[in-house]
Amino acid sequence: MHDETMSSGVYLPEMDVAPASATTEARRFQFNGNARDYFRIWIVNVALSLVTLGIYSAWATVRTRRYMYANTTLAGSPFEYLARPIPILKGRLLTVLIFGAYSLAGRVSVPLQLAMAVVVAGFLPWLIVKSMMFRARYSSWRGLRFYFSDDYLGAYKWYLGVYFLMGIPFAVMLLFTLAGTPSLTIIGVLILLAGYATIYPWIKGHQQEWMVENHHFGGKSFRFDTEIRRYHGIYARSAGVALAWFIPCVMMLGGIMSSVGNHTPSRAMPSPYILLGVYAIMAPAYLGVWTFVHTRMTNMLYNQAHLGPYGFRSSLEYWPMLGLYLSNVLAVVFTLGLAMPWARIRLARYRAERLEVLGDGDLNDFVRDAFAHGEIGAAATEMDSLLGIDIGL
Amino acid sequence: MVPAVYYNGRSSHATRVLAWRDEALLRWRVAEGADEWKVPLTEVEPSARVAGLAFMLRLPDGAHLQVEHDLLPADWFPRHHRIERVVDWLERRWMAALASVVVVVVSLLALFEFGLPWAADRIATHMPRAVETSMGRQSLKALQGSLLKPTTLSAERRVHLQDIFRRFASHLPNLPQVQLAFYDAPAIGANAFALPDGTVVFTDALAGAVPDDDAFIAVVAHELGHQAGHHMLRQVLRSSGVFIVASVLMGDVTSMGGVAAGVPAFLIDSHYSRTFEESADAFAFESLARQGIDPAAFVHAMQALERTHPELKGEKDLRYMSSHPLTEDRIARANAASQRFRATHKVTSSH
Repeated sequence: MHDETMSSGVYLPEMDVAPASATTEARRFQFNGNARDYFRIWIVNVALSLVTLGIYSAWATVRTRRYMYANTTLAGSPFEYLARPIPILKGRLLTVLIFGAYSLAGRVSVPLQLAMAVVVAGFLPWLIVKSMMFRARYSSWRGLRFYFSDDYLGAYKWYLGVYFLMGIPFAVMLLFTLAGTPSLTIIGVLILLAGYATIYPWIKGHQQEWMVENHHFGGKSFRFDTEIRRYHGIYARSAGVALAWFIPCVMMLGGIMSSVGNHTPSRAMPSPYILLGVYAIMAPAYLGVWTFVHTRMTNMLYNQAHLGPYGFRSSLEYWPMLGLYLSNVLAVVFTLGLAMPWARIRLARYRAERLEVLGDGDLNDFVRDAFAHGEIGAAATEMDSLLGIDIGL
Repeated sequence: MVPAVYYNGRSSHATRVLAWRDEALLRWRVAEGADEWKVPLTEVEPSARVAGLAFMLRLPDGAHLQVEHDLLPADWFPRHHRIERVVDWLERRWMAALASVVVVVVSLLALFEFGLPWAADRIATHMPRAVETSMGRQSLKALQGSLLKPTTLSAERRVHLQDIFRRFASHLPNLPQVQLAFYDAPAIGANAFALPDGTVVFTDALAGAVPDDDAFIAVVAHELGHQAGHHMLRQVLRSSGVFIVASVLMGDVTSMGGVAAGVPAFLIDSHYSRTFEESADAFAFESLARQGIDPAAFVHAMQALERTHPELKGEKDLRYMSSHPLTEDRIARANAASQRFRATHKVTSSH
C-alpha cells in the first residue's frame, strides 16, 4: 500500500554506504506545533494541576514539554522529552520548601537571608550541572540520548570563581577614590568601567564554551571556538543599543514627570498611575536591550559550536525577535495569560526556522554513547526553572 | 501493516519499515528487503498519546519504532497509560478547554480567597513568638535613622499618652505584649502603624493632629486590632505564599513572565491587607464601645488625618491600588458603630 513511497530513501541498517543524494545542503530545524492543539493541552493540564493541588503538575509538565520537543524535528526525526513525572514532582516539592524558607527568611532577619543567599549561591554551580545533566539525559533524537558531563570544577570556576575577578576593578576604583582628588576619582571610575567591559564578556564567553563543550551526543562531543573578541563586540554594541533605548525613554519620562509632578506633594507616595506610566515606558526599553543581548548570545552559542563534522547556524534577527517578544508580552497581559500557548508556539517556530545544521554528513553517523547513564534527580532542573535562570540552550 | 521508522538504538540511522501485529508479537520489516524483526508486544513500551505527536514504541535494547500519530492501531496497546488516555480525550475537545478555563478561574479565586489565607494562618498559629519579635525589630531597625527620628513631643505629653494607652490595652483580652513608641517622621507625616513584635509606632505629627484623647485611643484601638489578630505575620506569610504560587504557576515561563506576574501578585497582596484593615477597624469599634468610648472618636481621628493628608481625598478610582479601605467607607462604618453604641448606651442607662 505504502510501498511506492516507502521504497524511496530507504536506508539499510548497519551498512555504511553513503547515500547518493547531495548532503552538503544545510538542514533546518522545523517546528510543527500549532497554537490550537497546544492551547487545549496546556489549559486542560493547568486546570488538572490546580484541581489536584499541584500534584498533577509534574505530569502536566511532561505532557506540555513532550509536545514542544516532539514537534521540533531535524531531518524529519522528532526530538523526544523522556523525563518521568515522579522525579519532577519530588524536585518541585523540594524547591517550594527551599524557596518558601528563603522568602520568609528575609522578613524575619536580614542576616539569616544573607546566610541563605550565600548557601544558595554556593550551590548554584552544582545546581547548574545537575540541571544540565537532567535536561540532556532526558532529551533524545533518533533514540539516542544527549549527555552532559558532571564537570563540577568547571561550573564552580565559571559560574562562581570568576565573579570574584569583578571585585578587582572595584577595589582599584575604591583606592583611587580614597586618594581624594576628583581627577583621580574619575580615573578610578573609568578603570572600573573598563575592567567590567573587559571581564564580563570574557566570563560570558567562557560560560558558553563550558556549557557547550560538556554536552555530548551520539558518541561525539560538542566543541566550541571561543573567540572572546566577538563577545566584546556583542556587549559593546549592546551598550550602544541601551543608550539608544534609554535616552529617549528617560527624556519622555522626564517630560511627563515635570508636567504631572507639580500638583503632587513630594512627601506623599507617588500615585499608582505614575508608577504604571513609568513601568509602561521603561519596560519596552528594558525588553529592547535584553532582546538584543539574548538574540546575539544565542546566535553566538550555536554558531561557534561543532559536533563531529557538523556545525550549526543560528540566524536570529533583532527586530523580528523584538517584535515577537513585544507582541507576546502584550498578548499575554491583555488575555490574562490565555495567550501563553500561542506566544510559546510562535517563538519556538521562529527559533527552529532560524537554526540549521551545516556539514557534509548525512546525520546517520551518530552512535550510542558508552556512558552508562544513571537516573538524575529533577530537583535541580525544577529549582533552575523556578529561580528563573535562563541558561539559554 | 503501518509505515514506521525504526531506530536501532545503536546509531542514528533512520530505517523506514512496515510494522504489523502478529498475535502477541510486534513485527516489522524493511519494505523491499530481507531484514525482519520481531518482539513480544508485552516488552514494548509505547509513549502516551498526545495530539499530533508520533508514537514512540520503546523496544528492548534501546531501539525505537516511530509510528505516525494517526496510524497506530488501537488494539496494539489497549491497556497502557490509562490516566493519560483520559487526559488526552479531554485535550482534544474545545468544550473541555472552555470548561478548563472556568475551572482555572474558579480554582484560582478559591485558592487566593480561601486556600492560601487558610494555609498561611495555620502556619502563623504555629510560629514561635520569637519570629514576630525578630521581624518587628528588623523593620524598626530599617526605619530608624532614615525615616524615624527621635520624638520631639514633650515628656509630659508622652507620659500622658502612654498612660491612657496602657490603661486601654490592659482591658483588652487576647492581646500579646504591646508597647507604644513615638517618633518624629517628617517623611511619613501623620501616621501610626503596628509592628509584629507588639510595638505601636505613633508619629509626632499624628499625636499633634488628634483632637482629643478619645481620637488618640481610637487610632490606638485600630493598631491594637492588628496586634490582636497578628496581622503583620499573617500578611507576610500570605504574600510569601502568593509569591511561591505565582512562581510555580509561571514555572515554565522565561523572565518576561515573572515581570507580568508582579502586577496580579501586588493586587492580591493589597486585597489581603485591605481585609486586615477592615478587621482592625471592626476590632477598634468594638473595643472602644466596650470601654465606654463612642466610636465617633474614630471618625474624628480620620477627619484629623484627612486634614493633614489632603492628597488622600478623591482617590475613589484607585480602590484596588490602595491597601486601606476608602476613608469614606471607614467613616460610614464608624458612624454606624457609633449609632449602635448610642442606642445600647441609652438602653443601659434607662435601666
